[in-house]
Amino acid sequence: MAYAYLFKYIIIGDTGVGKSCLLLQFTDKRFQPVHDLTIGVEFGARMITIDGKQIKLQIWDTAGQESFRSITRSYYRGAAGALLVYDITRRDTFNHLTTWLEDARQHSNSNMVIMLIGNKSDLESRREVKKEEGEAFAREHGLIFMETSAKTASNVEEAFINTAKEIYEKIQEGVFDINNEANGIKIGPQHAATNSTLSGSQGGQQAGGGCC
Amino acid sequence: LSLSVESDQRLCGELRKHSWSGIPREVRPITWRLLSGYLPANMERREQVLKRKRDEYFGFIEQYYHSRTDETYRDTYRQIHIDIPRTNPLIPLFQQPTVQEVFERILFIWAIRHPASGYVQGINDLVTPFFVVFLSEFVEEDVENFDVASLPLDTQRNIEADSFWCMTKLLDGIQDNYTFAQPGIQNKVKALEELVSRIDEDIHNYFKRNEVEYLQFAFRWMNNLLMRELPLRCTIRLWDTYQAEQEGFSHFHLYVCAAFLIEWRKEILSMVDFQGLLMLLQNLPTIHWGNEEVGLLLAEAYRLKYMFADAPNHYKR
Repeated sequence: MAYAYLFKYIIIGDTGVGKSCLLLQFTDKRFQPVHDLTIGVEFGARMITIDGKQIKLQIWDTAGQESFRSITRSYYRGAAGALLVYDITRRDTFNHLTTWLEDARQHSNSNMVIMLIGNKSDLESRREVKKEEGEAFAREHGLIFMETSAKTASNVEEAFINTAKEIYEKIQEGVFDINNEANGIKIGPQHAATNSTLSGSQGGQQAGGGCC
Repeated sequence: LSLSVESDQRLCGELRKHSWSGIPREVRPITWRLLSGYLPANMERREQVLKRKRDEYFGFIEQYYHSRTDETYRDTYRQIHIDIPRTNPLIPLFQQPTVQEVFERILFIWAIRHPASGYVQGINDLVTPFFVVFLSEFVEEDVENFDVASLPLDTQRNIEADSFWCMTKLLDGIQDNYTFAQPGIQNKVKALEELVSRIDEDIHNYFKRNEVEYLQFAFRWMNNLLMRELPLRCTIRLWDTYQAEQEGFSHFHLYVCAAFLIEWRKEILSMVDFQGLLMLLQNLPTIHWGNEEVGLLLAEAYRLKYMFADAPNHYKR
C-alpha cells in the first residue's frame, strides 16, 4: 500500500507495564488480558493519516527484562520515535524511567521523539503514581506525555499518533535528515514521485526505491 | 521398548535409538527421566536416586524459598511471579494456583542456584513439557484441563521435583543461551544464517533484499527452543528426539530451525515486503500441527545435519 512516509518506533519500559498490550490495541484494536511475554523483540505495523498523508508506522516492541537489554538496544538506532512506558500502579516502574531514558538517549539518534506513557489508567483505585508526577518528569526531560489504558483503549490511538505528528513536524522544520535511514524515517514511493517539494532540496527521486 | 527401559548402559543406547522417532505416551515419563540423565540406567540404583533427588529438591525449598522476599532475591522472584501467569496463558492447566506455585518454586530455586545467568524470560517455558509429561502418568486423557490439586500431595511433590531436575539437566547443556549478552543465542543465530545461506540461497537472498535480519525472528526460536512457534504437543514430540540425540538441545536444534524455516519457503517467497515477512515469521501457522508434521521436520533436520554439518562450502544443494 502506498504511503507518504514510514516511521519506525520502538516501545520500551519495565517488564509487565503493558507494552505489548498497547501495541496490540493499536494495531488490532483488541485487548488480551493475559498476554504472552515478549521474547527479544516483536514487530507490529499500522497505517495512520496525518495532515491528509498516509504514514506507515513500523513498531518494535521490546522485552522489558534486563537480560535482553543487549539485544533490544540495537533497535534504538533506526527509530524515529520511542514510547517509554511505565505502569501507574507500580511505583518502581516509574522510578526506573531515568535509567531507561539514559539508555535511550545514549543509543538513539538525537532527534528521536520520545513519548512518555503512564499505562493502566483504568486501574485508578490501585494508582501509585500521580498524573502530575508523570507530567513533571516529562516536562523536565523534554518528553511528550499521556496516560493510557491498553484495556479500555483510552488515549492509545492518541499516543501513537501524537508521536507521529511530532516527528512529522520535525521533518517539516527540517530537523530530520530524511534521506538518512538511521533516523528511522523513509519516504514512501508515492510521495517521492508526486510531492518532492515537501522533502526539501534533496528531492526524493530515488529515495523511496526499495521500501515497499 | 519396555525391555530396553529396564536395562543397562548398553541398552541405554538402544533406548536413544528407539526414542528418536517418538516415544509412546505410556513410557514417555520414565524414558525422559532416563534420557535426560536424571535417572541412572542401573535398575538397582533408581529408586534410591529418585528418593535422594526428590528429598534434595525439597531441602532446597526449605532452605532457600523463604529468601525470595530478601533484598538479594526480591527482583528475581518478582520477575518470576509476573511471568508465571503469562506462561501458556491459553492452557487452563497453567492458570491453576497450585500449578503456578509449583512453577514459581522450580524457577526460583533454579535461578538462585545458577547466578551466572539467573532467571531469563523463556526459561519459564522450558519447565512446561517436563511438568506435563510427568503429570500425564496420573491422568487418563486431557492433561491440559486436569485439576492438579486433586492428586495426592506426594504425587504432586514428585512431579515437581522431577520437573526441576530434568529442567536443570536440560539447562546445563545450553546455559550460555542465558548468560550475560546471551552469547549462545547470538552464535546460534549466526550459525543459522550461515547454514541457510548454504542450503537455500533464494530465501537467504530474499531476506537480504528485504532487509530482514535473522535475529529479528530467530532470537525467539533459540531463546525458547521453538516452543513459541509450535503447539505444546509438538514440543513434547520434538523433545523425544532432542533427548535421544547426543546434543539435541544445543546442536541438533540448529538444524531443526533451518528445516523449520525452509518448511515455509513458498510462503516466505510470496511475501512482498519486510512487513509481510516479519508478520509471517513471527506468526507461522502451525496451530494444526501434530506428530506427523514434527516427524517430517525432524527427518529433514537430520538430512541437513548429515549433509551440511562441517561439510565444505561447495557442497550446496
